[in-house]
Amino acid sequence: MDMNEIKEIFFQECEEQLAELESGLLKLNDGDRDPETVNAVFRAVHSIKGGAGAFGLDDLVSFAHVFETTLDCVRSNKLEPNQDVLKVMLKSADVLADLVTCSRDGGSVEDSRTRGLVKELEALAKGEMPSGGAAEAPKPAAAAAPAAVAPTDDSGFQPIPFSFDDDFGSDDAGKTMFEVTFKPRRDLYSKGNEAALLLRDLSRLGEMSINCDTDALPALEAMDPEETYFSWTISISTEKTEQDIRAVFEFAEWDCDLEVNEIAAEAAEELPMVPVPFDLSALDDEPAAAPAPAAEAPADTKMAAAAARVEKKEAAAAPAAAAANNAAAAANAAGQTIRVDLDRVDRLINLVGELVINQAMLSQSVVENDTNGTSAVNMGLEELQQLTREIQDSVMAIRAQPVKPVFQRMSRIVREVADMVGKSIRLVTEGENTEVDKTVIDKIAEPLTHMIRNAVDHGIESPEKREAAGKDPEGTIKLSAKHRSGRILIELIDDGGGINRERVRQKAIDNDLISPDANLSDEEIDNLIFAPGFSTADKISDISGRGVGMDVVKRSIQALGGRISISSRPGLGSTFTMSLPLTLAVLDGMVVTVAGQTLVVPLTAIVETLQPEASAIHSFGATQRLISIRNSFCPLVDVGRILNFRSTQANPVEGVALLVESEGGGQRALMVDAIQGQRQVVIKSLEANYTHVPGIAAATILGDGRVALILDVDAVVGASRGQSMKQDGGALKADVSLAAAG
Amino acid sequence: MKKKVLTVDDSRTIRNMLLVTLNNAGFETIQAEDGVEGLEVLEGCNPDVIVTDINMPRLDGFGFIEGVRRNEKYRAIPILVLTTESDAEKKNRARQAGATGWIVKPFDPAKLIDAIERVTA
Amino acid sequence: MASKKADKGSLKLVPVLDLNEASVLHGQLTNMRGEDVKIDASEVERVGVQCVQVILAAAKTWEADKKNFVFEKVSEAFEKTMQLIGIDIDHLLAKEIRQ
Repeated sequence: MDMNEIKEIFFQECEEQLAELESGLLKLNDGDRDPETVNAVFRAVHSIKGGAGAFGLDDLVSFAHVFETTLDCVRSNKLEPNQDVLKVMLKSADVLADLVTCSRDGGSVEDSRTRGLVKELEALAKGEMPSGGAAEAPKPAAAAAPAAVAPTDDSGFQPIPFSFDDDFGSDDAGKTMFEVTFKPRRDLYSKGNEAALLLRDLSRLGEMSINCDTDALPALEAMDPEETYFSWTISISTEKTEQDIRAVFEFAEWDCDLEVNEIAAEAAEELPMVPVPFDLSALDDEPAAAPAPAAEAPADTKMAAAAARVEKKEAAAAPAAAAANNAAAAANAAGQTIRVDLDRVDRLINLVGELVINQAMLSQSVVENDTNGTSAVNMGLEELQQLTREIQDSVMAIRAQPVKPVFQRMSRIVREVADMVGKSIRLVTEGENTEVDKTVIDKIAEPLTHMIRNAVDHGIESPEKREAAGKDPEGTIKLSAKHRSGRILIELIDDGGGINRERVRQKAIDNDLISPDANLSDEEIDNLIFAPGFSTADKISDISGRGVGMDVVKRSIQALGGRISISSRPGLGSTFTMSLPLTLAVLDGMVVTVAGQTLVVPLTAIVETLQPEASAIHSFGATQRLISIRNSFCPLVDVGRILNFRSTQANPVEGVALLVESEGGGQRALMVDAIQGQRQVVIKSLEANYTHVPGIAAATILGDGRVALILDVDAVVGASRGQSMKQDGGALKADVSLAAAG
Repeated sequence: MKKKVLTVDDSRTIRNMLLVTLNNAGFETIQAEDGVEGLEVLEGCNPDVIVTDINMPRLDGFGFIEGVRRNEKYRAIPILVLTTESDAEKKNRARQAGATGWIVKPFDPAKLIDAIERVTA
Repeated sequence: MASKKADKGSLKLVPVLDLNEASVLHGQLTNMRGEDVKIDASEVERVGVQCVQVILAAAKTWEADKKNFVFEKVSEAFEKTMQLIGIDIDHLLAKEIRQ
């Protein structure tokens, strides 16, 4: 392991600590006052600071330091973490996250942002309330607290003021003679210090003579073996300063009496002392030292100056209460985890995928050769199949992760955007521990971000409007996740004004998406916001926009094999519902035949399958055909033709129609020749192994060993539209009008 | 014989730094992630010196030090605390709990080794 | 554990004489009161001041009792530490090992 690897670990750890920090602050924001929550928040910042210091990331250290200081005030109950305080803290957490990112990837955080927050944090630490905090008057106690709570036992740790201005007159050799008197107290030993080691370190500073005063030593029976009876007088000739000598006793200075005085060289020679060799390794060659009768240490040679005498009263009471609390918290220790490189898990998942395919192939060939189907091999295979399934599920569970980190990112976005547009919004999250495959998590962040921005910018009304409507001026956005029938369901609910159907309809007409006389249900109008070309770049603010509309959100959800829908109640808010597969590694598919090829159509895309009657097929224009389903018309798309498997359109009556939902919100009927069945398939990336093929999302290997292509339904529908119609907008318009006509 | 060091720190970054630094300096290193684990590991590893952080979940550095000092068998082991320059209060509390000395952060390999040398024979 | 009593009147010191060993050593020596004592410090690797205090208190007590208190063998580390902390045990060393 080298420093770069450790740095990598540091940044990983920062991510975790930042998540911890944010979730802790949000808990505090919800009124949680558990000391452990505050401790965890403090620790997170402290830990980031510690690591950053080791890597010399000064910007990060200095900001973390100020943040930590303010958090410490909260921890020691000097600062009440009310909403205003937490607002500053949450902003600080965001800046801290940005500083971490900049430290890792380069770039810099706006200086003004950091500086502003540093000021706010420092003001809080001093007991001043945030300037914007009009809602809550500062508690007098909060301001007065620092003085009252100041540690009463801190007399012992002020640096000893000794003057460095003194000119230590040095002799010709550049050496100074010092006399050191050193009397350890019992605590020195009980804290793990050892007088012999201190004297060893002292002896390394120069030539030293030592006299041990053993007078206080009682008779054996009378002594306490752990009491201290010895004290020392040492004279040392050194190039070092008094400060250096004191530094030797740094760890012990509270637990001993120590005097260090500069003395005249002659005075030292009068002391009856045992010389201690500078180099202890040469000790063997040293002649036996002269006897040093302990009683003879002359008191009058001790220098009068005792300015730097260290005399400390021991505050013996141990702060055991806090420790006990912490020990109690240990009861809810987290489950044991190990960290595994993601590559290894991916490789395992791939291998298990191969195993599933292999097992299916084996089963198939056994079934083909085993006519009665009751042989022991066959029974063993069933067990194998069961086991394989279980292994697959367990392996997938390894890569499953809670959606929590993504949800946490959203709370930051809510804060930032709400700040920008001058709204007050709280984000409530639910089911954050719902797990889903990492591959899915990685891909939902972006569409979710966009939807959140949209909800803050457009969904929630301004505080004035909300008040006028008799609502809480603070808006609420609820983000929830749960598992439902093998998929994950994510809901985004705002309590805003709901979809303004009049405006949406008008906009759709203006943008040529629907005809002015189209008769649409409320739900259809609401879903128009997902239509391509509904939101145009020039009309969108830079907050929710970036020129990207909800159609892009819908498309990226669909690319994940998911669906999204909206329901809205005027004046009460909107609910976006997303349903996503739990993994992108396996897929439930419908296996179909098209022009002799086997294809897999993702089951999630299929609304229903039907056998077209000749009477239901209508021609429309030169090449376009429609199928009437329950009194509405739906464009018919020949998959074989679109993929160029055949040159002419097949007869719809001879095939099967798969009714699919397309990205524009409308439906299409995909024509295939026959349905082979439904099964779960392991997705093999075509891009990774071959190259991208238009209309094809991926590939899989079937039980009989054949490769089957997985259809990209959206791409096929898109291609059909381009082929048969002039423009995308026209297609949807046609859809909607036809639906209305039916 | 190699000197044995027990380190107690909840930060993965610092744990790795301690490990690399101590191994490079020829120490045998045993690591724990918090005070509770530190006390568990202590039984049976009999280190020559302990290096501990203060802010840790479950059982912080103060509690850990007190735990070691209460232990009949291990109470004499020197304990060094990782602390920050300015934090005199923490240093003092650590001393009261029974810390032998301290290493001022930011983490610096030379300072660490120096402090260990100072408190061990 | 601070010492092993090989035979009557002789005491072998353990390698590490730290804070914990001071009490043990104290008890051991207290029990030997009244006999001539030979100390074997040849295996001592580390000796703390508190154990030195116990040893010297014993030497003082033995002197008062007019009994012999002699170091038969000393390790280099033991001797070095004594010199470092300014304790002279020369008069306590057995004649054979005096320099």
